[in-house]
Amino acid sequence: MNSIRIALSAVMYLALSAFLCAQDRGMRPLPFDDLSAFQNQSGNWQIVGDVTMDPTVDIHAQPPVEKKKKKKSQPQADPITSVSGTGVLLNKPDDSHKSHLVTNWEHGDIALEVEVMIPRGSNSGLYLQGRYEVQLCDSWGVKTARFSDIGGIYRNWEQNPETSYMGKAPLINAAKAPGLWQKLEVVFKAPRFDESGKKTANARVISTILNGVKIHDNVEIPRPTGGPLVNDEVPMGPIMIQGDHGPVAFRNFKYKLIGDLDIRLEDLTYEVHHGPFETESEVKESAVVKSGSIPALTYEVAGKDNQYGIVFNGKLIAPRSDEYFFDMVYGGLGSLRIDGKSVGDGWRGLSESATLEEGPHAIEVVLFKAQSWLQNSLSLFVSTANSYPVALHTFGSAPPGSNLVPPILIEPASEVKLLRAFLDFKGDRSQRLTHTIGVGEPDRIHYIYDLNAGNLVCVWKGDFVDATPMWHDRGDGSFRPLGMLQYLFSGPSLAVLNSPEQAFPSSSDDFKSKGYTLDYDTQRPTFLYEYKGAEVSDKVVPDGEAKYFTREVIVANPSANTYLKVAEGGKIEQLPNGWYAVDDKQYFISMSSGQVPVIRRAGDLQELIVPVDTTPIQYSLTW
Amino acid sequence: MKTLKYHFTLVLTSLWISLVAQPKEEDYYKIITMPVPEGILLEVGGVATLPDGRVALSTRRGDVWIVENPYLYDGELPKYTLFASGLHESLGLAYYQNALYSAQRGELTKLVDTNGDDRADVYETVYSWPLSGHYHEYSYGPKIADDGSMLVTANVAFGDQEWWRGESRVPWRGWTMKISPEGEMEPWATGMRSPCGIGMIDGEFFYADNQGDWMGSGGVWHVTKGSFTGHPAGLRWSGESDSPVKLSQETFFEEIDERRRFEEGRYIKPENIMDEENPLTLAKAKEQFPEIRLPAVWLPHAILGISNSEILKDDTNGAFGPFTGQVFVGDQGQSKIMRVVMEKVNDEFQGVAFDFKEDFQSGILRMDWGSDGSLFIGETNRGWGSAGNKNSGFERLVWTGKVPMEMKTVSAKPDGFEITFTKPVDRTLAEDLDSYSGQRFTYKYHSVYGSPTINAEPLKIKGVKVSEDGLSVRLVVDNLTRYYIHEINVMGIKSAEERLPVLHPTAYYTLNNIPEGNKLPASEWSTKRTSALVPKRPAPPKPVVKPTNEVLTYEQVKPLLDKNTCSACHQVNKRVVGPAFSDIAKRRYTDKKIVDLIYNPQPENWPDYSTPMAPMPQVPKDEAMKIAAWINSLKTGD
Repeated sequence: MNSIRIALSAVMYLALSAFLCAQDRGMRPLPFDDLSAFQNQSGNWQIVGDVTMDPTVDIHAQPPVEKKKKKKSQPQADPITSVSGTGVLLNKPDDSHKSHLVTNWEHGDIALEVEVMIPRGSNSGLYLQGRYEVQLCDSWGVKTARFSDIGGIYRNWEQNPETSYMGKAPLINAAKAPGLWQKLEVVFKAPRFDESGKKTANARVISTILNGVKIHDNVEIPRPTGGPLVNDEVPMGPIMIQGDHGPVAFRNFKYKLIGDLDIRLEDLTYEVHHGPFETESEVKESAVVKSGSIPALTYEVAGKDNQYGIVFNGKLIAPRSDEYFFDMVYGGLGSLRIDGKSVGDGWRGLSESATLEEGPHAIEVVLFKAQSWLQNSLSLFVSTANSYPVALHTFGSAPPGSNLVPPILIEPASEVKLLRAFLDFKGDRSQRLTHTIGVGEPDRIHYIYDLNAGNLVCVWKGDFVDATPMWHDRGDGSFRPLGMLQYLFSGPSLAVLNSPEQAFPSSSDDFKSKGYTLDYDTQRPTFLYEYKGAEVSDKVVPDGEAKYFTREVIVANPSANTYLKVAEGGKIEQLPNGWYAVDDKQYFISMSSGQVPVIRRAGDLQELIVPVDTTPIQYSLTW
Repeated sequence: MKTLKYHFTLVLTSLWISLVAQPKEEDYYKIITMPVPEGILLEVGGVATLPDGRVALSTRRGDVWIVENPYLYDGELPKYTLFASGLHESLGLAYYQNALYSAQRGELTKLVDTNGDDRADVYETVYSWPLSGHYHEYSYGPKIADDGSMLVTANVAFGDQEWWRGESRVPWRGWTMKISPEGEMEPWATGMRSPCGIGMIDGEFFYADNQGDWMGSGGVWHVTKGSFTGHPAGLRWSGESDSPVKLSQETFFEEIDERRRFEEGRYIKPENIMDEENPLTLAKAKEQFPEIRLPAVWLPHAILGISNSEILKDDTNGAFGPFTGQVFVGDQGQSKIMRVVMEKVNDEFQGVAFDFKEDFQSGILRMDWGSDGSLFIGETNRGWGSAGNKNSGFERLVWTGKVPMEMKTVSAKPDGFEITFTKPVDRTLAEDLDSYSGQRFTYKYHSVYGSPTINAEPLKIKGVKVSEDGLSVRLVVDNLTRYYIHEINVMGIKSAEERLPVLHPTAYYTLNNIPEGNKLPASEWSTKRTSALVPKRPAPPKPVVKPTNEVLTYEQVKPLLDKNTCSACHQVNKRVVGPAFSDIAKRRYTDKKIVDLIYNPQPENWPDYSTPMAPMPQVPKDEAMKIAAWINSLKTGD
C-alpha cells in the first residue's frame, strides 16, 4: 500500500534531482596540456602524464638532497615519481622554486571540480579569486577536522577581533590517504559591491564537496583568508594555487563561470477556474471565477479551493540570448508555454529547456489540480548553464523544507555498533544488496559486509549510517552510509577457478552464511561461512589510529584453485613500495601475509586475486 | 403489601444497577503500561518469556532486550538489558534450548550467549532466504514445533506499477517455511499475503492473514504441509522440486481471472464489481482447487481487527481467567485482542471469535504469557497507524480475578448452535427468542483489495433451549449455511445473579462444516417471543411531513457509523486508521461523491494513510447519504 507514496515521492525526487543536475550543465575542462592558462612561475609547476606518491613517506622526513649524498650510502628514493605526458599538473617546489600558480583569467561566481593528489605531510591551497583559501593538505586520519584540514576554509591571522576571521572547519574530515586522487567540488559566489564599491554581500561557499561528502553548505566568508594574492575584496579575481608548502598534483579540472541572472516576469496576470478538471482545455473553457495581476507565480490565488485550474500569463524578460532551463514543481498537472510554443507539461513537475532571444517573451503557465489530497504548491526556477536558478514564484507558493523529515542517525557509542539493512550498492537501487551489515567503530571508521557473499562491500570514515530510509514510517529496509565512502565491489570474494582466466562468479549456490560471532572484549564480529566444503572466517579490524582496515581471511579445507578476490577496478597497478593502487589510485591494498596476488583482466576491469592456502590471508586496505 | 414491597425492591434493584453502571472490560482485565527508560524505543516485533521469568523483546529497530522483573514485584522498576542488536527489522522471537531465535528480513538467526555476560556473542545464520529488497518483504517467526523445527512466514512484495498486486519475486515469499535447527529448509505451505499472525497450538501451526488482494477479510488458518491459503503469488514456486503445493499459477489463473489489465500504457487497478452476480468465494474456489485451505475462523474485517497478529493459546490453567485452552489473537490496527475458540468438525478446525479487550496504546504485534499467567504485549504501529495512537508500546494485561459475563464459547450443532456462558443466565430472558438476533454472510475471493460482506441474510432463529444449570443455551437456526460466518447477538441476555449483560454480546462462528448428529426435538424448544405478546396497536396516522434534508447530529449518526463499521477506522476529529471525518469534510466532496467513495474508495487520494479502505457496498444507500451529509456538516467555514 505504501507503494503509492513511494511512487509519488519518486516523482518528487526526479523533479528535485533534475534541478540539482542543473549545476552540472555547462562545465568545461581546463586541460592540463600545458601551462598556458597560468601566469609565469618559477618552474616548480610542470605538466606530466601521471604521478605516483608513496603514501608511506612523509615529505618532511626527506633529508635535503645535498646532505643525503654525504650521509647515506644509498640515496633514499624520491616518494614522488612521475611519467612524462599531459593531463596532470604537478608542483614540486624546492628552496628556490616555490611559486604560487595563478590563472591568467579571473572569475566571480564559479563552479569548479578537480582531483587532487597530496603526498604524505604536504600542504597546498586553492585560493578562490586569489583571496579565499580552500585548504589542501594531507589530513588522512585526522579525527576531528579543523579549518586547517583539507577542504577547510582557512583563517586569517589578524589579531584584532574586528578584522580577524577564524576560518570554517569542514563538517567532517573527508580526506583520503596521501597518494590517492581526491575529488573536490566547489560552488562559490563572489562578494557583491554597490556602485560606490562598498561591499553589499559577503563571498559565499554555496557548497563544497570533498570525495563525495558535503563539507560546507552555504557558508559566508566575511573577508580574505590568510596569505591572499591581495588583501582586499573584488568582484573578479584569478584562482591561485599555493606552491610554497609542498608538492601537490591536480587533474581533471573543470569549471564554469556563473553569474546572476536578471530574468524577470512582467505584466503577470492570473485567472482562476473552479475544478475538478481532467484536461487543460477543460480549464480554459470553464468560467473564470477570479482574476487579477500579481508580481510572481503562486497557487495561493486559488484561495481555499482545493480543485482548481489557474492560468498565468505574462512577459518573461530574457536578459540575453541563451538556452534557459525551466524546472517547475507543483501539485497537479501543469504546463509551460513560451511565445505560444509548448516548453513542457507533466504530472507534478517538468524540467525542460528552451532557447530564447534577448528581450520579452509571452509566457503562459497553467496549473490544475483535481486531486484534493495533493499538497498545494507551485514553483518555477529558471537558470542558464552559467547562472544560479532564479525563482519566479513567491516564497509561500513552495516554502522549502515542507518535505523534509528529521533524520534517524545511528552512531556507535562506546562499543562497536552492528546494524543490518539493505544497501544500494554505489547508491544504485537496482544494485540493492539485501543481506548486508554495517559495522561501526567508536573510532569513526566503518565498513559494510555482505553476508550473502562473504564480501567486504565498502569502507568509510566519519559518521556511521542514516537509518531514516529504513525506520521512517514503514521505510524501505535500507540505510545510507554517511561520511566518505569507498565502495569496493559486490559479489562473492571467494571462488574456485578452473583456470586463471575463468571469470569470478557473480553469485554462488555453494555459499552458505553461518552468521558471525562477537569478540567478548572488543565486540567486533568475525564472519563465518561455508563454501564448497571450506570453512571460512573473515575479520576486518581497524589500526589503532583508525586510518585503515586490516582484513584477515582464514580458509579451512580449501579446494584446489581457490582464490580470494581482493579488489576490482578500472586500473590496478603495483607501486614501487609493493602496494597495489586500485581503480586508478582510488585506494591501496597492501599484503601483509605471504601470498602473492595476481593482477588480471576481467572484462573492462582489472582484478586483484590472491591464491588461497591454509595460512591466513591478511591485507590492509587504505583509502 | 407484599406486592408493594416486591415492586419497591425491583425499583431499588434497577436503580442500583444503573448506578453501578455497565460493566467494562477493565473491571476484569487491567492494562498495565510498562515503564521503559527514556531513550529505549520498543517497537516490538517479538516477545518471548524466558524460563526464569524474564521477558525478551525484539524490536523493529533490530534490538533484543531482556526485561528483568517485568512483573513489578515489590513495586520495583523493571530492568532492561540489551541482549543483542543490529538485527534487520526483527518480527519474531522464540526461546528454544538456551538460545533465542528471531526472523530477520532475510534469515532465521540463532542468538546465543556462550560466555555468560547476558549478551549474545553468537549470531548464527540458521537459514538464509533470498529477498528482492522490496520494503514489504517482512519475515515473521519463528514458532517452534514439537520436533524442534521452526516455522517462519514470509510476506509478499508488491508490484512496481501494479502497487496493489502482491508478488512473490523470489522464493519463498508468500510461503511458510519449516526450518530444522540444523538449517534444512522445507517449503511448507503457501497462499500467505501478509502472515504476521502466527501461533503454535497443541503442536499445530496456525496463521492469521490480513485483508488485502485475494483476502476478503482477516482470519485464522490451520496450516498443514501443502496447504494453500488463498493468495496466489507464492504459487509461482510450486514447480520447484521441493514444493509440497503442486497447483501451478498458470492453472490457477486459467480458472480464476486475476484481472490484470494494461491499457493506454498503464496498468488498471481492479475494483470491486458492484452488484456482481454469483461472486466467487474462497469456499467455491476450493471446489475447483481442493488444496485451498479455508480459514478455520474468519475475523470479520473492521469488526474483529483489521490487521491480525499474534495467535496465542491460553495455557495459564486459570491464572488468566476463565478461558483456559482458548486462543487470543492480537490486532495491530485496532489495538485490541480477540478471543477465538476452535473445535474440530469432520476433522477440520472451525470455530467462533469474540471481541476480548481493546484500548491498548499502540498496534498489537506480539504476545506471550508471563510466568504468573499475565499477558505481555508488544506493540508498534509505525507506518500503519492504529486505534491506540502511540507509536510503540510494551504492556501487560492482568486478570483482576473477577469473572466477566461472557459467551465462553459457541459450538456448532446439526441444527444450530450451543452457546456456553461463563455464568448462569436469567432463564426468562434466555428463553425469549427476542434476546437473540444474527445474520450470516461471507466474502468475495478476488484480486481486489478486500471485499464487502456478501449474501447477508438474517439468521432465522426458531427455537431455544436453556440447560438445567443455566450455563448454556441451544439455538435452533433454520438457515445454517455451510462456509458462512454466522453472527450471533445475545443483546437480551443477562446473568441470573448479578443481572449483568454479556460484556461482548456478539459471536462470529465460521461454519465450515455442519456437524452430523441428532437435532433437538421441537418439543424441547422455547419459541417464546415477548414482542409477539405485546398487542399490536393500530399504526398512528402518518404525519404529513415535507422531506427535509435535515442533517443528523453526531448522536443520531453514531449508531449508523457503528453498525456499518465506519467507526472501526474513522473518528470525528482524530486520525486513526483512516482520516478523521472532519478531514474528509475538508476535501469538499459532494454528498454524492462521498457515497461513491464509500462504495468504491480511492485510497490513492490519501497517500499519507497506509491501510486502504475496502469497498463498502453493503452500506445501505439511504444510510450512506445520511453519513455523507453528516460528514459534510463538519466543514469549517472558509
